[in-house]
Amino acid sequence: MVLDFNTLYSPFDRFDKLFEDFLRPGFGGQRRLTYPPLNLSQDDDNIIVRAEIPGVAIDDIELTLTDKTLVIKGERKAEDGKYFRQERPAGVFHRVINLHVPVDRDRVEAAMKNGLLTVALPKTEEVKPRSISIQAE
Amino acid sequence: MSELMKKNDKNLTQYRPVTDILEREDGFYIYMDLPGVEKEDLVIDLQEDELTVTGRTSYDAAEGENFTEMQFGNGEYRRTISLSDIVDRDRIKANLKNGVLELCLPRVEEVEPQRIQITQE
Repeated sequence: MVLDFNTLYSPFDRFDKLFEDFLRPGFGGQRRLTYPPLNLSQDDDNIIVRAEIPGVAIDDIELTLTDKTLVIKGERKAEDGKYFRQERPAGVFHRVINLHVPVDRDRVEAAMKNGLLTVALPKTEEVKPRSISIQAE
Repeated sequence: MSELMKKNDKNLTQYRPVTDILEREDGFYIYMDLPGVEKEDLVIDLQEDELTVTGRTSYDAAEGENFTEMQFGNGEYRRTISLSDIVDRDRIKANLKNGVLELCLPRVEEVEPQRIQITQE
């Protein structure tokens, strides 16, 4: 055999993995069902969507913004060659993110770095929290 | 056992990066998904027959952000692959692009057949 896979097929690894999935709420279980994994957050000014999409250039990712959703679409291509092992997902992916607040469509920014996609969607002025000054007399 | 061993001093979760291993005409190729890992935080060690890849993500701490969904976070990637003698250890190449590590493992060049001269005295 050319490459020895014994460490990959070790029964202990599998056993560990089984426990890992149980002991790691939030990660693991959901991770396999939906691709790519997402982090959604917001601060006062922006809604921030982050996704781990390694191996895909930003030009190959299609971002569509509708009234209430952001759609991330793209394709991960498999490499050419004779496979001994294939764990990396390949194929078309598609995720829809519901946006609950109106965003400023013209100022949406997207960046890709080291396989991490970050999309910042600025909230419109109307929904931003603002402090109201109270005048005491 | 596993949980204790898999936590390091910084308490980072350890992941086994998903990996493809394939063969082409010029040798073997390994692809590993390592999203969020900078080149500086990636270490590849070759010790005897074991090739170990270790990398750490460095996502910024999102201050002032309120998370509604969190499906990934900071962690440490680690994976060991055993190599056979066919791989030329001196010519292994590694390249990190878009969060994917490509390892190129060329085969050892065939040893030329050689005729042995006989001397007679």
